[in-house]
Amino acid sequence: MREDNEQDIERIARELRVPVAVGPALDARVMRAVRHLPRHARLGLWSRLITPRTVTVTPLVWGMLAAAVAGFAVLGAMHAKEDLRRAAKPIATAFFPSAKPPVRSQRVQFVLVAPDAKKVAVVGDFNGWDASHAGYQAQHRGGGVWSVTAPVPLGHHRYSFVVDDSVWVADPTAPRVIDYDYGMPNSAIVVQEQK
Amino acid sequence: MSTAARTLIALLLIAPQAMAQDARLGARLDKPTLAAVRAIVDSARAAKLPTAPLVDKALEGAAKGSDGQNIVVAVRQLSMQMASAKRVIGSNATPDEIKAAATALAAGVSGRDLARLRAASGKRPMTMPLAVLTDLIVRNVPVATATALVVQLARSGVRDQELALFQRNVRTDIDRGADPSVAATTRARGLVLRSTGSGNKPSE
Repeated sequence: MREDNEQDIERIARELRVPVAVGPALDARVMRAVRHLPRHARLGLWSRLITPRTVTVTPLVWGMLAAAVAGFAVLGAMHAKEDLRRAAKPIATAFFPSAKPPVRSQRVQFVLVAPDAKKVAVVGDFNGWDASHAGYQAQHRGGGVWSVTAPVPLGHHRYSFVVDDSVWVADPTAPRVIDYDYGMPNSAIVVQEQK
Repeated sequence: MSTAARTLIALLLIAPQAMAQDARLGARLDKPTLAAVRAIVDSARAAKLPTAPLVDKALEGAAKGSDGQNIVVAVRQLSMQMASAKRVIGSNATPDEIKAAATALAAGVSGRDLARLRAASGKRPMTMPLAVLTDLIVRNVPVATATALVVQLARSGVRDQELALFQRNVRTDIDRGADPSVAATTRARGLVLRSTGSGNKPSE
């Protein structure tokens, strides 16, 4: 009895071990059936987004992507440079870029002999009469001679030296102007384009 | 171009300069003085006079420690002198010419003499002749003599560089003790003779 059972089991096992022949249309039939199954309404899009998938990219597409990234980087750098350039301009110039024509000027040497002076500055129409203007501070050259060479716009200007922040001295070598308004002397200079 | 477009362009051209001038004045003047100077500058702008010299005049006063009233008087006086100068030398005059002419008027040159100098200069700029004329007057050359000499030099076609040299020579002569009138007349005569090509006469 027991032997009979073992033979039956062995026969069934042999039959089960035989590979099942699957028809070529099976895959298509299975996929059709799957598509007809109802989707889960809430997880449809989300599951698509989070489901890992394999994407095939050709070398040509890689090249195009790299070119696009490089292009964006160059454009970004150009914009950043332009923004910096604009930020560096004075506000008035930035709002009215072509409103003020560039002022042409010539470098002019101012010389004053003042042996006892501790400080000599040049003030005039060309620097807003500002004795602290850094570009118009005369340097002592020795022997009581003070001088500074500074840009002065073309045209007619009035100016003076300020010695030790308190004494106003007209340039003894330049034409004088009558300026009685404030009781201190001024000189005149006519700066012309060098030919 | 329409009037509106021209007005807009004019505003765009003037606005930055006006803003910069106002900022400089605001930093140096007290409020009442600033308001008075602004009014004078606005009037000058409306009369198409250069406004930068007025702003500079106010800044000069502030730098020299002058009080507000003096500053307003000086700016108003300059504005009136520039208006007179422009009337005499013509509306085509440059801001530099108007400024120099106003300075000459302040030195005592009459409007009639200014007109003579304008006519003698022709189309050449008269900024340098005016600066030299003012300097001669400041150095005690009589106004009539100084004006006659500079008009003569301008009529002879003397260039600006020669005029500057003339001014330096006269100044040196005066500094050495020469009579201002004689020094100016002698130097001017020499320059005219040189420029007309007859400078070899032994009498000069």
